[in-house]
Amino acid sequence: MSVLIELNDLGFAWPGQPELLDIPHFQLQRGETLFLKGPSGSGKTTLLGLLGGVNKPSRGMVRLLEQDLTTLSAARRDHFRVDHTGYIFQQFNLLPFLSVQENVELPCHFSALRSQRAKERHGSQAEAARALLSALGLGERALGERRAGVLSIGQQQRVAAARALIGQPELVIADEPTSALDADTREAFLNLLFAECRAAGSSLLFVSHDQGLASLFDRSLSLLELNRAARPAEV
Amino acid sequence: MYLFRLALASLSNRRFTAFLTVLAIALSACLLLAVERVRTEAKASFASTISGTDLVVGARSGSVNLLLYSVFRIGNATNNIRWDSYTQLAENPKVKWAIPLSLGDSHRGYRVLGTNQAYFEHYHYGRNQALKLSEGKPFEDIYDVVLGAEVAEALHYKLGDHIVLAHGVSTISLVEHGDKPFTVVGILARTGTPVDRTLHISLEGMEALHVDWQNGAPARGEGKISAEQARQLDLTPKAITAVLLGLNSKVATFGLQRAINEYRGEPLMAILPGVALQELWSLMGTAEQALFIVSLFVVLTGLIGMLTAILTSLNERRREMAILRSVGARPWHIFSLLVAEAFALALAGVVSGLALLYVAIAIAQAPVQAYYGLYLPLEWPSRYEWTLLGGILIAALLMGCVPAWRAYRQSLADGLSVRL
Repeated sequence: MSVLIELNDLGFAWPGQPELLDIPHFQLQRGETLFLKGPSGSGKTTLLGLLGGVNKPSRGMVRLLEQDLTTLSAARRDHFRVDHTGYIFQQFNLLPFLSVQENVELPCHFSALRSQRAKERHGSQAEAARALLSALGLGERALGERRAGVLSIGQQQRVAAARALIGQPELVIADEPTSALDADTREAFLNLLFAECRAAGSSLLFVSHDQGLASLFDRSLSLLELNRAARPAEV
Repeated sequence: MYLFRLALASLSNRRFTAFLTVLAIALSACLLLAVERVRTEAKASFASTISGTDLVVGARSGSVNLLLYSVFRIGNATNNIRWDSYTQLAENPKVKWAIPLSLGDSHRGYRVLGTNQAYFEHYHYGRNQALKLSEGKPFEDIYDVVLGAEVAEALHYKLGDHIVLAHGVSTISLVEHGDKPFTVVGILARTGTPVDRTLHISLEGMEALHVDWQNGAPARGEGKISAEQARQLDLTPKAITAVLLGLNSKVATFGLQRAINEYRGEPLMAILPGVALQELWSLMGTAEQALFIVSLFVVLTGLIGMLTAILTSLNERRREMAILRSVGARPWHIFSLLVAEAFALALAGVVSGLALLYVAIAIAQAPVQAYYGLYLPLEWPSRYEWTLLGGILIAALLMGCVPAWRAYRQSLADGLSVRL
């Protein structure tokens, strides 16, 4: 297994504020699924921003696929992010005015690499989207034509997963994607997500405060332990 | 292209606001084009109030003044032309036809014009259109009158009615020519020119009205000459007010003009109606400009409406922007997306504005032509109109940069997550 993400001596602070993140060392292997427990105030959002290349660390190094993000320009970081990372957020992941199918294909319009990979594997973007949707249990053809806004939350999260996975990015970052789902759907969703990540060869970085899910992952970490600058959770 | 598609999809999600915005832009674009078209056509129609006439001759005064009283029936002549000057002009070999005009009387606010048959034959207006009678025939008898369309309509006159003309040109206080009533024998079709507001009688009729007048007052008692007695007299006028000339060759125009201006018999002046019309129009240019500027501001208002609509939508669309960022849209994509949105709105507005304009012209064409003499053509926009429309689109693009810039800043600050 090779290293997908490597953080070394990473520090980050918003201008004029005390340091929010101080991570001496962190690694994620290719194909690994990692549960990162992050209560609010632990610097979770900031860390995901750094991994996505939206923000730049104050010090230290963020490596994704051997590439040091801190040496890239903002535009190149954006480019790099979409080529190699898929995102799933808590909820409201989709553009409600586009169809389900179009939502899934979105990343291919901004990343030539992912579009190309989707075509290589499935023949076309549309076919890739359909294949993913059907693997995630949204196979009915009529469903793909519907506007994303009318789906249930559970269906929306699965569409979001399909979108994160299209074009086989090396990394899928999921930020509390199950918090809006009920307990039964939650595990079913996770199992589908694992299966698809495995099929695409993607690593999964799963951030949540729901410790109950941790046992399903290859590895589990707490951001509070990882981050030396973490303040006690503000409740 | 994909961004444009996204912008359209996003707009359709807010279709009610988008519809109102497009409507505002459409109305303002339509107004701008309508004003422009009416302006152009009004100018053209004004310039063709009289056509086919090469020279207008009158007593020496100003060219605009001469044009005003001879063609527009506004104001008064400073002096008259002697009849023998007129006959000399009419007999000049360069002159093809001459229309004598004699003014000074009125009927209930409408001017009375004394002239002869040549008027019905040679007086042209618009695109060289001759006068047409909608009813009856030209005057033949001394006491016949032919009415302009508006006179007949406003005063409800019909063929065979008897009317009494008044001396002078104000609506009240006039001494009437009550002893010599006129009979309506013809009514002219609408022209949209001052002809509509004129009563036409023969020069002899004009002379008969005044044959017993002395020193600007009607004769009393013994001196009175009745209508029937007047018929027996020589009714050749001693003077007329102006002459319209048509020449055999346009080339001769300037030569003849100079000759008339230097005429030794009495102080005369000849003007080219086209030149004088231009001069007169330039006096009205300010009002026309003002109208144009007002419609420009209406367009600006429409665009500001669009700006407001997009700006207010930005806050509720932060999530949309964040999602786009997370699937790989760069900040400049967000910027372009909003500019594309502004452009799409303006384009839809301009296109519907054009459609609106053509519908309006199709409906209003006939009545406008009849009542105002304005022919509004149903033709493709002129190059200038395209420029105006292009200007609206460019203005919209520039204004679209304002919300685009805000969204750009916002999306940089928000990153991939939206704290709502």
